[in-house]
Amino acid sequence: MELGGISFGGQPGEHPTVLFGGLFFKGAPEFTSASTQLAMMLQVGEETGMPTIPDVFIRKEEYIEPILEFIEQRLPQAHPFSVDIIEPGIKARTLEALRDHGLLGRTIYNSLHIGVTVLEREALKAHTPAMAIVVAFNPKDSSPDGRIEVLENGAHLLESGLLEVASSLGIKNILVDTAALAPGENSGAALASLPVIKEEYGLPAGCAIHNVVEKSKWLGRYGEVKAAVDAASNAGIALFGGDFAVFGPIAQAPVVVPLMAWFDMVVSEYTEAYFGVCPSARHPRRVLTP
Amino acid sequence: MTRCVLSSVVGSYPVAIPPMELMAQYFAGEEVSWHPYIADAVGDMVEAGIELVSDGQTRDPFVQLFTRRLGGCRVRARTEVVGPIEYCEGITVRDAQVVRRVVGPSTKVLGVVTGPFTLMKSCVDLFYRDERACCLAFAEALRQEAVALSWFVDMVSVDEPWFANELPEYAEEAIGVVTRDVTSPVRLHVCGDVERIVGRLVGMPVDVLSHEFKASPRLFEAFEEYPSEKGMCVGAVRADDARVEEVEEIVAHLERAEAVFGERVVQVAPDCGLRMLPREVAFQKLQRLQQAKERVYGG
Repeated sequence: MELGGISFGGQPGEHPTVLFGGLFFKGAPEFTSASTQLAMMLQVGEETGMPTIPDVFIRKEEYIEPILEFIEQRLPQAHPFSVDIIEPGIKARTLEALRDHGLLGRTIYNSLHIGVTVLEREALKAHTPAMAIVVAFNPKDSSPDGRIEVLENGAHLLESGLLEVASSLGIKNILVDTAALAPGENSGAALASLPVIKEEYGLPAGCAIHNVVEKSKWLGRYGEVKAAVDAASNAGIALFGGDFAVFGPIAQAPVVVPLMAWFDMVVSEYTEAYFGVCPSARHPRRVLTP
Repeated sequence: MTRCVLSSVVGSYPVAIPPMELMAQYFAGEEVSWHPYIADAVGDMVEAGIELVSDGQTRDPFVQLFTRRLGGCRVRARTEVVGPIEYCEGITVRDAQVVRRVVGPSTKVLGVVTGPFTLMKSCVDLFYRDERACCLAFAEALRQEAVALSWFVDMVSVDEPWFANELPEYAEEAIGVVTRDVTSPVRLHVCGDVERIVGRLVGMPVDVLSHEFKASPRLFEAFEEYPSEKGMCVGAVRADDARVEEVEEIVAHLERAEAVFGERVVQVAPDCGLRMLPREVAFQKLQRLQQAKERVYGG
């Protein structure tokens, strides 16, 4: 699966992990530091061979236009981006605006989940983004099987599975977010689900495992360690054969991107030696080592 | 007439569970709580005047509710049995405890377990490949749940709808396994047309039998042919019809039950779980059931 020259999925070790850097604005969008951070992420991605994508949070309707203008101006042409929105009304409005700006072909919709509304469905049908992240969160079952259930049949919370819902809305490219849960709630299952989902559906899978670290309050007792664990947690995704990681905030990119490059190289060395999986042309193993 | 006959429910109750509410908890990094939905269902039952209430089975349909938490089961479109069936932890026990906290001291609590034969028949057995072995394995796991439940509830109900389709020769054995060591009274609920199997139902190792007398009034005659000491829970409003019965109609039905069973009538209830009905209809049915019960048996 490919979008804007970035490959998603494949065998472990084939393509580097796609890194979504969370661009979150406290209050009104402030684009000066956002521009710097975005440029920093793209640069370190370029240097290391790691594909990076901004994951832009949109919290209010009035922020839609300035954020889309920012994307048009600051992101290289054709480079994909994801819009991360919770409120269904803002989702629908953003899809319309993306259509108006001619950006749907670069858009990764974050996200489709059991809370999908009629309004959202209609908007997605009318203005279909190039790719969507489907969150396999099953409030009834935190195991990998629970995630499969919600993808397959909606766990009796939807009339059909999320994959069928996505397909019925015309979404052709799907990334599965294995839904990292709060600490103490089988949060490791988000990682364990990565190979299960890939094996079951052949779809690229990933998650925002760093959210679990953020909620691990006890780590706060150890000062700087929490930030280190937050960045390092993404390595679990590469080690479990995942295809993408949503990390945050984007300011962490100078740490997270090289860190993930290192783990992707380790995985690639092993999968090539043992399984014969050749790293792709822009894999960090080719970019960073002679 | 004044006699202690309890108004009750079979199990499920329709409560809206907005998925976006659950997603909001996910986005906030919180553990999803089902307690508000249980409290919602129980609140309706109590408000309607029901005296023996369930948790409303709000989490899941009655098969997945149990197979989801049993070792050896894997929930797919149908649950698959992929290994030895094992009881790992309380399945509905915490929900029953929530019900106990929500209701006042005068309201009794019903624990509900789906029967082993119904679970076996609802699953794809990829492990035992033997219906009796699979059913008895479910029975042993459910026994542990029923025993744990019986510490917190006033009655345990074993819900075995599949018996109406097929009653295996080991049915009594399976129900006996589930009810062994249970410290509360036990009710067996079999919905559907059980006319053909009444002779065996009256021999089941339980205290109370619960059936769909409203949808299948012929059952009154069928039961008359088999004298028994067992208590009866009389289904008195339909669970498959959105028409809300008039109080007089329910009263007439209960009077007929009284004529057939006399003092053996210990509970009145809907014919089955109310999950498929609109909530306001389910509530009105419970209200009128209670009103009719008070007319016939006193408050």
